[in-house]
Amino acid sequence: MIHLENVLFTITLIMYLAAMLIYFVFIAAKKDAVSKVAVTVHIAGLFIHTAAIVVRGIAAGRLPLTNQYEFASAFAWGLSLVSLLFIVKFKFPVLGAFAAPVTFLIIGYAAMQSKTIHSLMPALKSGWLGVHVSTAIIAYGSFGVSFVLGIIFLLRDKLKDRGFLDQHIPNKEKLDLISYRSAALGMLFLTFTMITGAIWAERAWGSYWSWDPKETWSLVTWIVYAVYLHLRIRRGWRGRSAAIFAVIGFICVMFTYVGVNTLLPGVHSYA
Amino acid sequence: MRFAIVLLVVLAIACSIASLVTQGQSYEWYAQRYSERTAALIIALRLDDAFHSAWFIAINGFLCLNLMLCTLQQLPGLIKRTKAHKLPSEMPDAQAEGIDDPEKLFVKLGMRTIVRGEDGEGRETLFAAKNRAGIWGAFVCHIGILLLIVGFSLGQMTHGEFTAYGVPGQTRAVGDTGLALTIDDFSIGLREDDTVEQYESKITVTDLKSGASETASVSVNNPADLFGMRFYQNSTGWAAKVSVLKDGLPLDSAVVCAGELLPIKDKPELIVYFNAFYPDLVMVSGVGPSTASGQLNNPGYLYSVYYNGELLGMNVLKDGEVVTIDEYTVAFSEPQSYTLIQIKRDFFAPIALAGGVVTLIGLFLAFYLQPQKLWGVREDAGWTVSASCRKGGKLFKERFLNAAGRKEA
Repeated sequence: MIHLENVLFTITLIMYLAAMLIYFVFIAAKKDAVSKVAVTVHIAGLFIHTAAIVVRGIAAGRLPLTNQYEFASAFAWGLSLVSLLFIVKFKFPVLGAFAAPVTFLIIGYAAMQSKTIHSLMPALKSGWLGVHVSTAIIAYGSFGVSFVLGIIFLLRDKLKDRGFLDQHIPNKEKLDLISYRSAALGMLFLTFTMITGAIWAERAWGSYWSWDPKETWSLVTWIVYAVYLHLRIRRGWRGRSAAIFAVIGFICVMFTYVGVNTLLPGVHSYA
Repeated sequence: MRFAIVLLVVLAIACSIASLVTQGQSYEWYAQRYSERTAALIIALRLDDAFHSAWFIAINGFLCLNLMLCTLQQLPGLIKRTKAHKLPSEMPDAQAEGIDDPEKLFVKLGMRTIVRGEDGEGRETLFAAKNRAGIWGAFVCHIGILLLIVGFSLGQMTHGEFTAYGVPGQTRAVGDTGLALTIDDFSIGLREDDTVEQYESKITVTDLKSGASETASVSVNNPADLFGMRFYQNSTGWAAKVSVLKDGLPLDSAVVCAGELLPIKDKPELIVYFNAFYPDLVMVSGVGPSTASGQLNNPGYLYSVYYNGELLGMNVLKDGEVVTIDEYTVAFSEPQSYTLIQIKRDFFAPIALAGGVVTLIGLFLAFYLQPQKLWGVREDAGWTVSASCRKGGKLFKERFLNAAGRKEA
């Protein structure tokens, strides 16, 4: 089982790398047919990734969402899923050229972590684990897509070959709107993650909020996106400022995920 | 609004800084870790207990006040907008002229309840609205956040928290609640690989006033509610029987948990401190006593003896070994696991939870119920239909123009 999971995980890595390179070729060659190949490879990678996660879950006899390797892999899966949803929904393959490298970096980070399957400590043996972590994956994935869209927004005017870009990248207004939609989806799921986490923490640790670094940084991330969405809805902040906020927000997400785990250990140190 | 944004940014910065400083340490600890100047700054700014400091509470207080005023200010406008069924005066996001069958267009865009009327110039009008609840999103979200902060703050101020630990058969008082907790049984479920699967305590709680008692089983993730309080399986440790003999005759005997003191009955100035327990004792050079496994293969008891507060000595005893101080002999035996039960009462936790759920509902309404309006005016050349959407107007505009058979300019 573990061997099969390793094989599937390696294939996933290769598929995401291939998808990323084909997206680059699509932009360089300016051929629509190439973008279809890239999206197909990306989707195939997502399916194999799903299979790898399922196989690990069967091998571990539990949800594979409890350590650095498992969460990084699931994070990459969430980003891959949300970016593909946006690529297909908005017919926007250029998004893949920016989202695939981020996905590849995260799954690369997963590859560097220990893959050993450990038994769950009693605190993690809860039905809330699946709800809490899976909503976090969707939240992080959505913020990742919002970040990528923010980068595209900021780079749009700096990129050459206007004709091709105008054809394949939505105009700034729509780009801004998609980024907002993605951040809004992330905000909704982050809130859900924090609520389910609080309910679970209360049952496991006797306190639903204890200012653990992970909790605190989730709150910081929530506030950053709350400010962004507030300014956008109430003050009409659009475009460049919103794109910069989307980038800052994702930096907070990454710090909450990687930075807190490595620099600020707390009760979430296993995640 | 601007003040609320400033407060949120300040709160985010405060949380970030506080998360970087280890909380609850002493000046000496910070001085050793950073520098004396930094330690003084940390203590002066209350960064050692930032989340309970006056400035942190003040930020949250201002935020609550601001949220409350902002929410109240919005309320009349929201009620007015919800009730309004007349033609909007706002500029539409899109408009299509010369429409022959406006009702078909309305239905195509999901507007089935159409209000007919006349405008000031006596022209026939149509009006329909969808997802009106969406305008309440921000309001509901603010109410949720308010409930959350208020519920959490009141909980922090009024909650009662106690711990009781011991081995099966022991009874402990639950703080000043008038309850007594008896540990009936404690078990540690181990897997084949020696890792812990679950800790489980069977407890009986007695109301000392009425004599009524309730029993329950508590394990990690499965607390029990008894007498209005919640009992959690918190942690475990080692305990042992400490026997004291005087001139060879039994004087005192008690089950003592590692980390506890045992004053000698008729000589209180002499104290035995049970420092630590090693179930599978090994002596590691450069480290000292340690344990090779969690199994009771070679029990070792680290103890220290104090006389009038002064340390007389420290050593490790094995089963069967004794330490003699003057006419007293002390021996450790019968190691066993003790359980630590956390007891909590927080009447306001459900309010905080409700706040979280209301916030979530508010966010859903705000993001996914986009209030859309369609209105039409009959003119000589056919109907002029206008569309507006408070959020995501661009996408609604596209849908509207597609449904009306018009192309975006």
